[in-house]
Amino acid sequence: MEILILVITALLIKNILLLQYLGNCPFLGVSKRMDTAVGMGLAVVFVMTLATAITWLVQKYALDPLGIGYLQTLAFILVIASLVQFVEMFLRKAMPALYQALGIFLPLITTNCAVFGVAVLAIRNEYNFVESVIFAIASSAGFALALVLMAGIRERLEAADVPAPLRGTAIGLITAGLMALAFLGFLGVDNSLKALTQS
Amino acid sequence: MSEIPRMLIVLTLICAACALLLSGVRSMTADQIERQILVNVQGPAVEGVLEGSENDLIADRRDVRVDDRELTVFVGKRGGDPWAIAYQTSGVGFGGDVEVIAGFDVTSDEITGLRVVMHKETPGIGSKVTEEQFTKQFDGRAIEGQHAIEPDGGDIESVTGATYSSRAAAEGLQKAAALYDEVKQQVLTP
Amino acid sequence: MSYMRDFTRGLWDELPPFRMVLGLCPVLAVTKSAEGGLGMGLCVIFVLTLSNIIVSALRRVIPRKVRIASFIVIIATFVVIVELVTQAYFYSIYTTLGLFIPLIVVNCIILGRAEAFASRNGVFRSTLDGLGVGLGFTLSLTVLGSIREILGNGTWFDMPLMWSSFEPFTFMVEAPGAFVCLGLMLGAMNAISGTRAS
Repeated sequence: MEILILVITALLIKNILLLQYLGNCPFLGVSKRMDTAVGMGLAVVFVMTLATAITWLVQKYALDPLGIGYLQTLAFILVIASLVQFVEMFLRKAMPALYQALGIFLPLITTNCAVFGVAVLAIRNEYNFVESVIFAIASSAGFALALVLMAGIRERLEAADVPAPLRGTAIGLITAGLMALAFLGFLGVDNSLKALTQS
Repeated sequence: MSEIPRMLIVLTLICAACALLLSGVRSMTADQIERQILVNVQGPAVEGVLEGSENDLIADRRDVRVDDRELTVFVGKRGGDPWAIAYQTSGVGFGGDVEVIAGFDVTSDEITGLRVVMHKETPGIGSKVTEEQFTKQFDGRAIEGQHAIEPDGGDIESVTGATYSSRAAAEGLQKAAALYDEVKQQVLTP
Repeated sequence: MSYMRDFTRGLWDELPPFRMVLGLCPVLAVTKSAEGGLGMGLCVIFVLTLSNIIVSALRRVIPRKVRIASFIVIIATFVVIVELVTQAYFYSIYTTLGLFIPLIVVNCIILGRAEAFASRNGVFRSTLDGLGVGLGFTLSLTVLGSIREILGNGTWFDMPLMWSSFEPFTFMVEAPGAFVCLGLMLGAMNAISGTRAS
């Protein structure tokens, strides 16, 4: 039950993209076409899950015992950057087909604040290892979901008659705002779920 | 110089310089950060339960050893003499630990108040244990006694729908009360 | 004259986050209030200017292949300094910005300036570039934060500003309002420069 709440919260109620303001640069950059959106979404699920698992271990078994928690930012970004490099090399050698599909998105992920943000959030929320991994999977799935939904809308927008100054990123942002508004509706689900378990 | 050793040397040097710089900044700011957390996180709660004290509560804190545990005790003074002490304990709630600060009047052996300083309870339900409606029930109770919530056979009204959270706050107080005699003795003997 | 350009470019022609649509996450997240926007902007000026200085000073020393890794280490160091200093001396800003202080490290603007400008130009010009872009970023964030705080909460830097019967539209301080407000501002800027060009 706890896990279910965790998943629904990370996936819908606190969607990292639309309600937690994380990962917006690739969101606007790659949501113009459906196929790139799907590719980016999958790449993020993959990297975010791995990154959160590794940074969690780094925090608990390296930073905490040494009492250098203040180096968290530095350590995490290095772990994520090298992880991305490593994944890229590994995929190119071992799974060329997957590399073809995801390869070009990987470098973009290093500066994707969603990956870094979720890794830090997992520590700040004091999740244990299993919870952290589930949190990362659900969060990244939420990211992919929002990205794909957005790409669907933006493909339609191509054909719409948008006022000239708003074309491009501006209308993309406004669309994202309306989607975020829709996702706010899931807040009610959260309250009733929690009330259900607490009583 | 060939390329790979040079890459390694430069990166190592940069990392070393950065680490040195950071540890310097860290040691310069550590005390101030500790103080800020005391003032901002525990400060308001301590001032609440030791209301009427005339001294600087944060500056006059003392570290005490009880049951092999370090405990930071805030001492409230009136006219130069300690009249009340406060310290932090915790109980296990619905979403994690509920950290509370309990204040005790050392002249009358009464509870001066209870404040929840940190919790991860459900917003809008469990979080109501932070409200005065709930916490004021503890004001002025004699320290002797069981301080349990109604479902556990006590006389403290729990927040509707938040039995776990209420029990956690009460548990924090019970733990604090159990340490009281020991702490009081250590604080009052100079 | 060209030094002047280095400084002013960041204030309009390449004004972040409007002209360079980079580093959006903090822009959306911390502009619930004018204070948050200004605080975030100042942190970014600090990190951006110093990282620009160091990167340009070391630009001949750092081998090309490891440059991104080196830039990230340098930027992360300054971010940790900001984290420690705000926590020690500006605690209210530290709590307002929360997670978004460590997130400065992945702000694409900073890495972007290091890569696109500081690694190719001298220390003095890179300093001006860092200050200019940082100042532009701060101004944008403060304006956006002001708009959202005034409309969404009826206050400006926590001072009540609106008449007493004003009903704040909470929409503006929630996430959807952030997206819509930024989108409309971007549209307005496009419209202004469109008329200037023609």
